[in-house]
This record gives sequence, structure tokens and C-alpha cells, in this order.
Amino acid sequence: MEQQPLLEANGLTKRYEDGALAVNNVSFSVRPGEIYAMLGGNGAGKTTTINLFLNFLEPTSGEARIAGIASHADPLAAKKHVAFVSENVMLYTNFTAVQNLAYFVRLGGRTGYTTEDYRRVLLRVGLQEEAHHKKLKGFSKGMRQKCGIAIAILKDAPAILLDEPTSGLDPKSGYEFMQLLGSLRDEGKAILMSTHDIFRAKESADTIGIMRQGNLVMQQSRAALSGEDLERLYMEHMAGVTE
Amino acid sequence: MLNTLITHELRTIVLSPKFSLTFAVTSLLMLLSVAVGIAQYHDAVRQYETTTALTQQEMREARGWMSLNNTVLRAPDPMQIFVAGVNDDIGRISAVNSFRGIKLTHSTYSDDPVYAVFRFIDMAFIVSVVFSLLALLFTYDAVNGEAERGTLQLIFSNAVPRARYILGKFIGAWLGLIVPLCIPFMLSALLLIVWSVPMSPDHWLRLLTLYGTSILYVTVFIAAGILLSTATKRSSTSFLYSLVSWVCLVFIVPRAGATIAGQIVVIPTVAEVEAERDAFAKDRWARYEETLQTTWRSRNAPIESMTREDREAYREQHMWEWMEEDDRNRKQVQKDIDAFALSANEQQRNRKAEQERLAFALSRFSPASAYHLAAVNLAGTDITLKARYEDALNIYRPLFTAYKDKKQKESGGMGGIRIEVNTDTGVKIDTGREKGVLDISDMPRFEQPQRSFRDAAVPAMIDIGLLGFFSFAAFAGAFVRFLRYDVR
Ligand SMILES: Nc1ncnc2c1ncn2[C@@H]1O[C@H](COP(=O)(O)OP(=O)(O)O)[C@@H](O)[C@H]1O
Ligand SMILES: [Mg+2]
Repeated sequence: MEQQPLLEANGLTKRYEDGALAVNNVSFSVRPGEIYAMLGGNGAGKTTTINLFLNFLEPTSGEARIAGIASHADPLAAKKHVAFVSENVMLYTNFTAVQNLAYFVRLGGRTGYTTEDYRRVLLRVGLQEEAHHKKLKGFSKGMRQKCGIAIAILKDAPAILLDEPTSGLDPKSGYEFMQLLGSLRDEGKAILMSTHDIFRAKESADTIGIMRQGNLVMQQSRAALSGEDLERLYMEHMAGVTE
Repeated sequence: MLNTLITHELRTIVLSPKFSLTFAVTSLLMLLSVAVGIAQYHDAVRQYETTTALTQQEMREARGWMSLNNTVLRAPDPMQIFVAGVNDDIGRISAVNSFRGIKLTHSTYSDDPVYAVFRFIDMAFIVSVVFSLLALLFTYDAVNGEAERGTLQLIFSNAVPRARYILGKFIGAWLGLIVPLCIPFMLSALLLIVWSVPMSPDHWLRLLTLYGTSILYVTVFIAAGILLSTATKRSSTSFLYSLVSWVCLVFIVPRAGATIAGQIVVIPTVAEVEAERDAFAKDRWARYEETLQTTWRSRNAPIESMTREDREAYREQHMWEWMEEDDRNRKQVQKDIDAFALSANEQQRNRKAEQERLAFALSRFSPASAYHLAAVNLAGTDITLKARYEDALNIYRPLFTAYKDKKQKESGGMGGIRIEVNTDTGVKIDTGREKGVLDISDMPRFEQPQRSFRDAAVPAMIDIGLLGFFSFAAFAGAFVRFLRYDVR
């Protein structure tokens, strides 16, 4: 039996006040246990799409649904079911990693975690133990992204939104990050990730949607992906970038 | 959820590196001010007691009841430790006697000009200037700072209601700034006890209300800081705005109110009033001279035709009558002039009161003015302090002179110097000095005007209410702004 999609865009459209059409009639869905990679160059509309899911923006038309709840209609109910990792996770620099985790996890509606839980999750995302109780002041981007995904894991929401989470990370960190996403997918999370990196998308995504100038120009499942497809996808993708 | 937000904000403020240092320094400043205030108060009390004792001594050793002069001192009040107000500017001493009006002279600043140069910085000043700035400095980037740092996005990716977030910000910032403010407050109260400042229950109530008003005043600036942080996108902008509004609200508006009121309600200067009175007096005396001449002419008319002896006899006969008539007229003129001066003073005082009312009304647009007015009213060092003492002295003066007259009559002595010339005993000079010292134990004492908690709190009510309104308005503004704030 086909499971209900946890993340769903239906004719999602966003035109900014200045008239720019950032997202144009985009529809897709992400089911539990699926990684959906939104692939596109700069300005393709990826961030705008994710912001529409989080109700940081009101859609011009169409809707973004989380667990069946339209984000703009009932944002508080919708956001209970989603965790978010941004392109550049920003936390409180004068608090330690664990203190940051504790704060955001509580805002995510989870209580009752112990220091041991925080330690376990931070180790799982690959943050060395000596950094757990250090202030975030000196953290590298990779370390901050790890904290971000740790917060998402601890929120334990069925859906996860990630906006170019690996951009700017070194190859090893990027690889480890994708491994982690894979294990979360295996736990049954519905994952929507935006990226401009075709290889990374192909490596781990179950479905790839290519965005170009606000349009979802192509959507393909992993099973349908083959050697020549990759080349073609890449070209399409680059065409979007050079626009 | 709200708890989480509040604790986080509280910790952000309290754990920030600038926090402990600023609060340590400002708390120390406040304690220092209170300590200096207490020392000055004790000095003032000592001075009051020795001068009072000295006056009593002088009165007992007066040459007689006739020459009994009293000097009344304004007693120091413990509340002047916290709010100096006009206390050091108005006189502390007035002579009380039958021939001169009440006038308070010898202010602290006129006696010791060095104090006027290095004016006493009281607690109310520190709260109104330093703590308002601190409140702004710790809140001006409360919201836009988080937006800039990018944490706002992560917060609102969760199911966090905006209303609760901004409320949490406000309460957290409030606790973070008010609790540390309460520490020097409590230590100050402790200093009063340790240094045995005589505080009546009413004094404690007034001090407590002053503390509460100070907290309300700082609350205005906390809410204003949060409002600025939601009204602007960048924290550098709101930093500039908060500095500008601080300067305007704390320094410019209060003075502008007084200046504008001075332009609208013009008061003749003391010199002008005196000139007017002199002109009136001159005119009045000139008319008196005129009538005097006509009177003389009419007095001389019936004697034109008389013989020299008759004339002398007639004059002799009417001499007393005429002298008394002239004296009556002269006294009437003096009375008219006094009445004119009194009404001119009265008018001056009314205009001044009108100007003050307008100045207060205009400057109350600034929370700093409202706070200052509430503080001086609570402390009793407000602008009416002088009038309160003058009124009390004016009540006391007739009591004292009546007592003096009664004593003088009882003692039978005329006072002054009596010179007897007797062909048998020669010249005898009697200075009228009674034997020993004068017994002034039953002399009516001057009652220092008392200010109860009610007397102090009622006029402060309007300003306390205003501060509450300012806080509410600023927070409501921040609240409404934040509901539509772009959290991306
Ligand atoms: N706040 C905004 N106002 C106006 N236009 C915007 C705004 N944010 C993004 N855009 C435009 O919308 C388009 C999509 O942007 P974005 O969603 O950020 O793309 P991506 O994340 O794929 O790089 C771009 O053309 C961008 O210039
Ligand atoms: Mg983007």
C-alpha cells in the first residue's frame, strides 16, 4: 500500500513583491523513507520553495503541505512535523553545543532528553566529544552543520527540510553528511533536500527534481537514473546555472 | 515553551561578557551615591541640631522679650539621600521675627559652592540616566540581532507562536535587567539600617514606591529597545536610533519643555516686578504730597484773616488733630503700596505656577521627566518644598510674635532702654534686662511640615501612570511589529 506523502507541493507559486517569479506552479511529494533532492543552480527557486514550506513566505498561489497540513493555513500545526537544517546553520556563539541543542530541541517541543542523549546524537553526527561543551564561537561551518542536523534528529519530526546542507563542506564531511541522511531515510524520515551538486544528489537521493528559473523542469526516480541520464541531467542543470 | 524562551533570553543577557562588568560598575556607582547621600544627610542633621541648640541658647540670653528673635531651620529628611531634587538649592534657614517677612536663605549650594560645582549625583539621576541607557544597550538588538545572526530562522522553523516569542523576549530581558537593579536597591536599604538613618514606616513606603517607579521607568526603556529592534532590519540602525532617542528623551525633551513653556507663558522678572512696585509707590507718594498741599491750604484758609496771636492759638489747638490725620494718610499710603506689592507677588506666583504646569505637561512626553517628577514628589524634594516651608513658617510667625508680645506684657517691662532724669537721683539708665535667662520652655515650637505617604504618592500617581502607559505602548508597538516581522 502506498504511504501518504509527508511533504507535498501543489501548484506552489511565489511571486515576490518586486515581481520576480521565484517559484512557478511546482508540484511534487516526498514520502516517508524517501530522500527527494531538489537540484538547481543559484536563483532556481530552491530556498524560496523551502521557505514556503516553513511559512517564512506566503505562497502567491498553490500550497505546501506538511503531514497533510497546509503551511500557510496552520503554520504552528504544520511545523510540528518538520525539522529544518539551513544552508548555514547559525547558533548562539556564546553558548556551548549542548546548550544550543537543549534550547532548540525544547523549542521543537521535545523535553526529557538527558546529557547522555545529547552526547550520543552529537557523536552520531560526528562532532568530536571535546567540542560538545565548547562555546560555538570557534566552530567551523562543518561543525555547525553537524549541530544543525543533531537538532533535527533530536526534534524527531517525521519530515526534514535541508537547504543546500553540504555546500561549502569539504568532500569528506559532505560524504559523511550524506551517509547520515541515508541512515535517517532508513529510519523512515521523509527528507527534502536542495542542492546544486548533481553527484551528491545522485549518490543518495531516491528522487531528483531539477529546478530552473522557478520551474520544476524534470523529475526522475533513482531507479530510472542511468549513466547517460546523469550526463543529460548535468547539462540541463548547468543550463539553469548559466542563465 | 514560554519558560524556555524566557530562560534563554535571561541567560543570553546575564551571561553576555559586557553584562557583569556594567552591572558591577553601575551598582557600585549607585551604592556610592547612597553612601555619600547618607553621609551628607548625617552632616545636615548635625548642623541642624547644633544650629537649633545655638538658636535656643541665644534666645534664652536675649536682652529681653522685646528683642527675642527666632531662627527656624529646615530639618533634613532621609529621602533627600535618594532624590536631591531642589533640596540643596533652596534655603534652609529663616529668621522669624515681627518686623521682617519669612525668607528661606542659606542653601547648601550658596553656603558651599564647591558642592554646586560637583553636584551630588543621587540615585534617581543614576537610574534615569545610566539605567535607561543600559536598558537600551541590552535590548536594542533583541530581535534584529537574532535575525542578522540567523538564529531567528531556526527558532521559527519550529512551532513557536510569534506572540509568545516576543513576550518571552520582553519578560526575559526584563528579569535580566531588573533583578540586577534590585540588588543595589536592597543593599542601599541595608545601608540605611546599618548607618541608622531614622526611617519612619512612611519613609519606607515612599522608598519602596520610588524603587517601584524606578523599575517601571527602566521597563519603559526595555520595551522601547525591543520596539526599536523590531522596527528596524539592522542592529546598527537600531543602535543609532536608540542612542538618539535616549539623548532626546533623557536630556532634550525635559529641557525643551521648560524652554517652550517659558516662551509661551511669559513671567515678568523679579526686577520688573520691583520696578513696577517702585513706580506705583512713587506715584502714590506724589499724590499724597499733592493732597497734603491742598490740605495745608484748606487748613490755612480760615486763619488768613486772623491776628498773629489768634493764628498761633488756632494752630496750637489743632496741632494734634492735624498730625494724626497726616499720619493716618501716610499709613494708608504705605498700606496701599504693601497691598499692591502683595498682589503683584501673588500674580507673579500664579504665572509661575502656570508656567511650571505647562513645562511639566510638555516635558512629560519624556519618560525621564515623568520619572523625575514622580521621584521628587515621592521624596518630598519637589518644587513645592519651598512653598510648603514658607506656608508653615507663615503659620508659625504670628504664633511666635503673639507669644513674644504676651511674655513682654507679663514681664511688664517695656523692653528697650528707659532713661530717667531726676533732679534728686540724677540720670538713671534702665536697659530693661530681666534678671537671669529668659524662660522659653513654653514657647510654641515650629512644626516641620510633615509629608505622609499619601501626600507624596498622590501627586506622583499621574507620572507613575504615565510610565505604565509608556511601557505598555512601547511593548504593544513591538508586539504588533513583530507579528509581521520577516524571520528569514
Ligand atoms: N526577498 C526576495 N525578493 C525578491 N526576489 C527574491 C527574493 N529572494 C529571492 N529572490 C529571487 O527569487 C529567485 C529564486 O531565489 P532562491 O529561491 O533564493 O533561489 P536558490 O535558493 O535556488 O538559489 C531568484 O531569482 C532571486 O533573485
Ligand atoms: Mg538558496
